[in-house]
Amino acid sequence: MFTLSNSLVKVISAAWKRAVEIPQSERRRVTEIVLGVLLFSLPFVLSDLFLIDRFGRYFVWAIFAISVDLMWGYGGMLTFGHAAFFGSGGYLVAIFTTRGGSFLPLPLWPAVGLALFVIAVFSFLLATLAFRGRLPLRGVEFAVITLAVAFLLEQYARAGGDLTGGQNGILFEVRLGMFGLDLHRGRGFYALAGISLLIVYVVARVFVASRQGLITRGIRGNEDRVELLGYNVPNVKVGLFVMVAVFAGYAGVLFYVHDGIVSPTAVGATASTQVLLWVALGGRGTLAGPVVGAIVLQHLTATLSGTLLDTWLLVIGVLLIVVVLVFPGGILGHLNRGPAR
Amino acid sequence: MMGKTTRAKLAAFAAMSLILISCGGNGGETTTTAAPPDTTAPAEPSGDPIKIGILADLTGPFTTYGTSLARSAELAVAEINAAGGIMGRSVELIVEDIATDVAVTTDKARKLVESDKVDVVIGPIGSDAADAVFKTVTQDGKTIMIYPETYEGGKCDSLFFSTGAVPAQQIRPMLPLLQKEYGPKVLLFGADYVWPRRSFEIAKPIIKEIGGELVGEVYLPLIADDFTELVKAVRTGKPDYIFTLYPAIWGAALKALTDAGVMEGVGVGTTFLGDPDLAGIGALAAGTYTALPFFTSAEGVGVAAFMDAFKAKFGADQIPSGGEALGAYNAIYLYKLAVEAAGSTDATAVANAMVGLKFESPTGTVTMEASHHLRQTIQLVRVNAEGLYEHVSSFKDQDPEESCSL
Repeated sequence: MFTLSNSLVKVISAAWKRAVEIPQSERRRVTEIVLGVLLFSLPFVLSDLFLIDRFGRYFVWAIFAISVDLMWGYGGMLTFGHAAFFGSGGYLVAIFTTRGGSFLPLPLWPAVGLALFVIAVFSFLLATLAFRGRLPLRGVEFAVITLAVAFLLEQYARAGGDLTGGQNGILFEVRLGMFGLDLHRGRGFYALAGISLLIVYVVARVFVASRQGLITRGIRGNEDRVELLGYNVPNVKVGLFVMVAVFAGYAGVLFYVHDGIVSPTAVGATASTQVLLWVALGGRGTLAGPVVGAIVLQHLTATLSGTLLDTWLLVIGVLLIVVVLVFPGGILGHLNRGPAR
Repeated sequence: MMGKTTRAKLAAFAAMSLILISCGGNGGETTTTAAPPDTTAPAEPSGDPIKIGILADLTGPFTTYGTSLARSAELAVAEINAAGGIMGRSVELIVEDIATDVAVTTDKARKLVESDKVDVVIGPIGSDAADAVFKTVTQDGKTIMIYPETYEGGKCDSLFFSTGAVPAQQIRPMLPLLQKEYGPKVLLFGADYVWPRRSFEIAKPIIKEIGGELVGEVYLPLIADDFTELVKAVRTGKPDYIFTLYPAIWGAALKALTDAGVMEGVGVGTTFLGDPDLAGIGALAAGTYTALPFFTSAEGVGVAAFMDAFKAKFGADQIPSGGEALGAYNAIYLYKLAVEAAGSTDATAVANAMVGLKFESPTGTVTMEASHHLRQTIQLVRVNAEGLYEHVSSFKDQDPEESCSL
């Protein structure tokens, strides 16, 4: 065992040293390609359909993490309430597909479209209030508002009576599918989640490289200066907020339709802070980092809670502390920059 | 500032520990309990193991109950394996922590059914989690689910069984006793989820029937940090007793009530507070009545042996909790008897064989009724001045009175 771990350390150190040689301009591309190949080869490597399905679930969380990274990592706006949108996606689709009413219940995809539209409108109103009011919110003030929104929604979900199903939430049996294909479980769900992740990732990359993305990063660096240069900062912020809310909402739709149940913790503060851990661990402002963070942490949680039973929380906590101490910029932040300049 | 090589080594080490840990996840998820060496033991079990999956809350608010559930299951499986397994096959126990979280429970239930392909799932604790997964477990017709926890009743499925207590066994016999001792005015206080809410809906007509008076009904989040609403309700309603279904942190609520000075002469009745829950609040809880299938002070010829075996396995200071501990223990033995009666692990055959089965549980004979709920003896206990439970009486051989007909 000891020699094995010794040789493992050697192999990893060697790979590490080789990786150090890669010029900085190429680093991001290389990690993206390696990551992409790794993730999309899984269904060919794994034989356990349930495990493949579980990775689909991780991909959905990764979309959620990308959404937070655009807001926090690129825009510098910390949000403590992002699950408000993730969970709303689940709740709205559950309500639109199961509840009766004038035009309800709807089939799955029209319900998804309507849910994302509602989220877009809600986030637009919220962002307009927050960023265009007389006293635009920044930094901690904004973070507190997002937390309050998530808290309110969680309370509403709990107390919402027949509409939200109260503490128990809504059980629904709509199956994910498209063009006659069943994408609800196993490889189908993996493909749906994987392609969704790829699309969101590419859109996020394009956005980051665009003029709007540049202004967004400028806001992170120095908001006042960007404003003085004549850019319309509130407009950019509102646009960004609506985009990330829709991403998070879409992730929530996939997640909760797949699970078949949505309950109040979905929109709450715990789910909102958990995603911050994934982003911080993976490396904020890297896009690929949050994807890695979400998958690694969720996979560790899922497997360790079946092996270490009652001590897994402690192990993951210590691991997080160690990783954050060794790589303050997150794993991908470190890889992209290159070690110890 | 760390040097280049130190960082590289640290990174390598971190990566390696991650790999090692997650690799452990593939092989190590199963805890097979080997038969201890014993000269009089029957033949060593062989062949493909029979797989039992456990959904237990080992972290989060329900840790006390989930841990007890998992341990009792472990104890029963160890005993069964030591005695030759089930039909000569060994029993493999696969425990998953569901963290008192519905989304985690759904994922873990699917893991047990689809990936581990277990024959039976036992758990979880919360009614909300049970609601969320019982279809998941039973829908393919290949896996039986046994829910070992006290619950509000009403679940009905050909492959679903309950070994916990239901309202007809606890609430119905208990409320008249509380009213006789304290008076007719009752306040209902529960955690805001399906078990307390539905149970109280069942309790209300009983209160009316026995001539009691409902003076208030309060629901707070499972983990509340502010009990003002409850204190106010007790102060204005002036109940003679509080009937509460507030698991996880009833101690905090009781402390808030006591500190507010509104508990003078007010009685308390519960159907969840097991022996482990009394730790730390025993003195405050003096006088509290609880009805559950099991207590350390329970009546029954097998109680001492069950307790001794539990302590021998998990430590002298470890005690099984009230409902779920005996519920899980009974569930595994009933499953064993049903498999032996059916002569196979086919879910439908086992389910058919389960109905009408009797098992000599530590607290007396239990019978699986046609409604898939368990006829069993319920213990009524009361917290004494030392903060420990004393046995008051037993509600013998209680009919679950569930209407599920299959």
